[in-house]
Amino acid sequence: MAIVVKLDELLHERRMTLTELADRIGITLANLSVLKTGKARAVRFSTLEAICRVLACQPGDLLEYAPEQRADERAHAA
Amino acid sequence: MKRSTALPVAYTVLRVLIALNWAYLAVLIAILGGSLTNEQWTFRALGVPVSDQTGALVMGMRAIAALGILTVPLNLMMLKRLVAMVHTVRAGDPFVADNAYRMNTIAWVLLGLQIIGLIIWSIGKAVSTPAHPLHLDAGFSPAGWLAVVMTFVLARVFAKGTLMREDLEGTV
Repeated sequence: MAIVVKLDELLHERRMTLTELADRIGITLANLSVLKTGKARAVRFSTLEAICRVLACQPGDLLEYAPEQRADERAHAA
Repeated sequence: MKRSTALPVAYTVLRVLIALNWAYLAVLIAILGGSLTNEQWTFRALGVPVSDQTGALVMGMRAIAALGILTVPLNLMMLKRLVAMVHTVRAGDPFVADNAYRMNTIAWVLLGLQIIGLIIWSIGKAVSTPAHPLHLDAGFSPAGWLAVVMTFVLARVFAKGTLMREDLEGTV
């Protein structure tokens, strides 16, 4: 996936743990871990809104388009 | 959700059909084997006296029995896949890729059975005579061909449903 989720960096900057964020936005820790590790296939707008509200950030701060990452994954798969 | 009785019934019916399929194979092997080892007795029992006039009919009936044997593994493939699908429904997880593949295989099997049915009907038509008519429950069946088309469509529905479920599971 060429979309990189930068949740880890944002949490580090805000000095917040994943468990704390999960509690504050009402999403299970398991689901948030899926998002953090880049294994999610889609993100609901409601989830994005909740994360941006709690972390005081923009969606662009959380997500990044990195085509070279996709190329790396393809090379690994081959 | 209310517990349905359809699944246990379907499971039992499928098990019975699998047993009947084996019995069908035993009967066909007995007929074909008997027609080769004890031709006179077997065909007299089937109501066809072996003579110069019935040579084509005898060969035709042998060919039909051989084609009948060919349908046994096809039936078994279909029934076993249906049993596996009933298991997944019982487990509450029917929208899996395996079921889409199973459905697709069942569609091809149904197509094969329809084609074999047409071949059997053609042989019956070719060897049947006014003196010894051969009445076969085979041939073109609109319901059968509709089932083939429907099963191919359902296989695609399953495949799409599986992808949609995977997407939903990966949605945070």
